[in-house]
Amino acid sequence: MNKTSIIGVFDEENALMAAVDQVKKEGIEINEIYTPYPMHEVLEAMGKKTRFTFAAFLYGFAGASGVLAFLYYTSVIDWPINYGGKPTNAFPSFIVVTIVLTILTVTLASLFTFSARAAIYPGKSFILPDKRSTDDKFVIVFDKSLLKGGAEKLNALLLEKGAVEVYEKELHPQN
Amino acid sequence: MDTRITFSKRFQYAAIALIILGGAALAYGFITQPDRAWANLLLNNYYFLSLAIGASFFLALQHISQSGWSSMFKRVPEAMMAFVPYAGVIMLLLYFGMHSIYHWSHEEALASDAIIQHKAPYLNIPFFFIRMILFFMAWIVMTRLLRKASLNEDKTGGMINFERSELLSKIHIFLLAITFSFATFDWIMSIDVHWFSTIFSLRNFVAAFYHGTAVIALIVILLHQKGYFPALNKSHLLDFSRYIFMLSIVWGYFTFSQFMLIWYANIPEETSYFAERWHSGFKVIFYVNFFINWFLPFTLMLSQVTNKNIHVVKALAIVLLAGQYIDLYEQIFPTILHAPVFGLIEIGTFAGFTGLFVFVFGKALASADLIPKNHPYLQESLHHHLH
Repeated sequence: MNKTSIIGVFDEENALMAAVDQVKKEGIEINEIYTPYPMHEVLEAMGKKTRFTFAAFLYGFAGASGVLAFLYYTSVIDWPINYGGKPTNAFPSFIVVTIVLTILTVTLASLFTFSARAAIYPGKSFILPDKRSTDDKFVIVFDKSLLKGGAEKLNALLLEKGAVEVYEKELHPQN
Repeated sequence: MDTRITFSKRFQYAAIALIILGGAALAYGFITQPDRAWANLLLNNYYFLSLAIGASFFLALQHISQSGWSSMFKRVPEAMMAFVPYAGVIMLLLYFGMHSIYHWSHEEALASDAIIQHKAPYLNIPFFFIRMILFFMAWIVMTRLLRKASLNEDKTGGMINFERSELLSKIHIFLLAITFSFATFDWIMSIDVHWFSTIFSLRNFVAAFYHGTAVIALIVILLHQKGYFPALNKSHLLDFSRYIFMLSIVWGYFTFSQFMLIWYANIPEETSYFAERWHSGFKVIFYVNFFINWFLPFTLMLSQVTNKNIHVVKALAIVLLAGQYIDLYEQIFPTILHAPVFGLIEIGTFAGFTGLFVFVFGKALASADLIPKNHPYLQESLHHHLH
């Protein structure tokens, strides 16, 4: 069964944020917000927090220590070879490899963490209420069945805050 | 909004007292140990010049990126730039100390050394000073023009001066890339005349930008604690911290790559530079340099708990003041004096130059409104908010 949604379309982020603030003040629950680019204000307004940066730090720390330990094990403990009279623990020359592999570790681990946390995978069906949010419009979505007051009041509010368009639509997952 | 700062008489007298102290320390040095005194003069003059040049680059960067957040602080780097002409005059004094600092300036060295002969068309005393004058002329003209555009903006407003500042900044950055590179080659790298490193100028330029930015942050924080810049908030601090964080990484990257390649290749004529710096007490300085200028800022500025904390940023900026000194000490002192020395001459000279810098800076800062009046991004800066 598909639910009917009320969709507000905005031209600019300030108008969107003004509407979001007003809607929250009225106690109306926002279903989802789609923006052309990431907006931290939206994350805050939706009451979401992220510990993603801390996770990235941990990956970096683990990656750097792991790579250094690996280099030390291979070139000092397991298979020491004399390269042009260098000490086997040629620490400065380990650094470059460590930096590069740490970046790789953080990038891949962050990608997988994000995908797992947001439940995104290749071929997943998605809901895109208004295509224009992938271009230059800010789109806010409400669940009509959850509205306590009438839809008219919400429509008026959105238009008053600068929505260029407000309409109702049944949302279907797409592939 | 009248935000003119007063440079109090008491402060001026303190600065002048420091200058006299520095003059006395230098005079004592010239009588007892002329080589050491010249090394100190070069180090301290280059130190404060690098802060002024770093500040001018910071300002130019804000202009060309049309940054909003920093526009209310732009008078601070502008006032720091006022030190450039003074540094120029002091740098010209090196004429009398060439033989103490630069081995290549000796006639007998030139006569017997093939490498110095090979470099002689570039490294000779007349051309050295012609270049020095050209560099300082370029910097003085550009910093004056940047300052003038900013002051005109206060008077007339409008977009003309804003656009002019942007154009001047582009020219300034282009000129700096060439002039400051050759300046560091001339003044610092040629002390070790047999040694060269192509990343040297870039590394020293980043060091200047890095520590110039740290000093801007420090001055802004100090003024804020005195009641100026009431609009300074956590978001501004975060931006300053990000600059310091980013620059500590770039500094570490360049410094380490200069060291690592030479260490790894291990070719005698290159390695001799670091061999000299690993003898006697200098090895400690080598590690302390990395610790202060890279490790400490990198770890402290990672977390938003510490990099939005005004006390942490302030303390770090003060430590970085020492960081630039240690960095230059490691570059200048080993070749000239062969053993680490630190005493009254060093402390006195540094105090004297600090006095001069503070005096020039204070005068320049007090000569205009602390917060620019008609900058188009002023409101954005006053209400800067990051998420």
